[in-house]
Amino acid sequence: MNYLQKMKGSGQSPPKVRLIEVLWSWIGSFLGIAAVSLIHYNILDRSGLAMIIGSFGASAVLIYGAIRSPLAQPRNLIGGHVLSAIIGVTAFKLFGQQPWLAASIAVSTSIALMHLTKTLHPPGGATALIAVIGSDSIHNLGYLYVLMPAALGAFVMLLIALVVNNIPKNRRYPEFWW
Amino acid sequence: MEKTSRRESIPLDISEQDIIEAMKAIQGYLDITPGDFRQVYQAAYTLAIERLFNTLTAVDLMTSPVLQVDQDMNLIEAAGLLAEKQVSGAPVIDSNKKIVGVVSEKDFLGEMGVGGKPSFMQMVSHCLHNDESCMIGRLHRRSVGEIMTKPPVTGLPEMTISAISSLFVARKINRLPIIDNSGLTVGIVTRTDLAHTYSVFDEEE
Repeated sequence: MNYLQKMKGSGQSPPKVRLIEVLWSWIGSFLGIAAVSLIHYNILDRSGLAMIIGSFGASAVLIYGAIRSPLAQPRNLIGGHVLSAIIGVTAFKLFGQQPWLAASIAVSTSIALMHLTKTLHPPGGATALIAVIGSDSIHNLGYLYVLMPAALGAFVMLLIALVVNNIPKNRRYPEFWW
Repeated sequence: MEKTSRRESIPLDISEQDIIEAMKAIQGYLDITPGDFRQVYQAAYTLAIERLFNTLTAVDLMTSPVLQVDQDMNLIEAAGLLAEKQVSGAPVIDSNKKIVGVVSEKDFLGEMGVGGKPSFMQMVSHCLHNDESCMIGRLHRRSVGEIMTKPPVTGLPEMTISAISSLFVARKINRLPIIDNSGLTVGIVTRTDLAHTYSVFDEEE
């Protein structure tokens, strides 16, 4: 297959899921995001801390909407956010004067690290990016960003995933823990 | 080379449509394209076949005990025996029970003057055309030892299916007597036995 032919794509799209799957994805993600955002807005916001970051919206797609995916498993969810957060904060501290460089280093390096550690979780890339392009309050967290919101938020979402995803007879989560 | 071509001819092709149907039957979003799944499936299936072919041995397939005929047995008696036991061939042994050849339908047909590539249809055709030389009578007063194929192609009990099938193809044979170290026949593997391997494979799944 030559270079241009490859761009046409030769495979097929997987089938659409059943309606019941859509419903459980909705319920899980509603509750998961509700949990982290309730903590964020009602408890932490006033103290300058955070519990929710944009990348959790992406995590919700995976851990409530594509629960069989290797990318959605606990190892990937927690590992991906934590490692990417470390990379993101470090990139900002080292290259913060050149935001374009800090941002690109943060994302590319976190992808590499997630691959190497078998923790690939797409939202991790966003977690690393947010550490660089986020608000001053995010920057002020320093490495606390790794623990909270990244680790703790992911952990709360994981708890909801365990509770909700195992209710239907034909659904189970996780496929593996580690 | 022969091995490779045989492996590749194993029908392990499933279509992307098959996969899409299967994916529909499984609830939940499967994070893989049908094409990728097919690739994984084919590679895994090939490995499974390899494993099967290299772990099952003659002992697992062979029919035992085997009907054996003495080389001094006359052909009428031998034909009766093969017919009664419903087999198309058998190892031939000497007075020490050691294998000295293999006798099969082919050898009988050959002896009847059917021609270079003896087969049942060849015989029918031959006899219909030349009433005179259709000489089943030739089989009278001959012994198994005179018409058998020799020396026999034999295998050992620990031979893998892979090696056995290669031998079948290479030597153009249909049955392989399995002998122990002392030359005594302990079993026989036929092409039919090999065909059954595939159902063994299904059971394993």
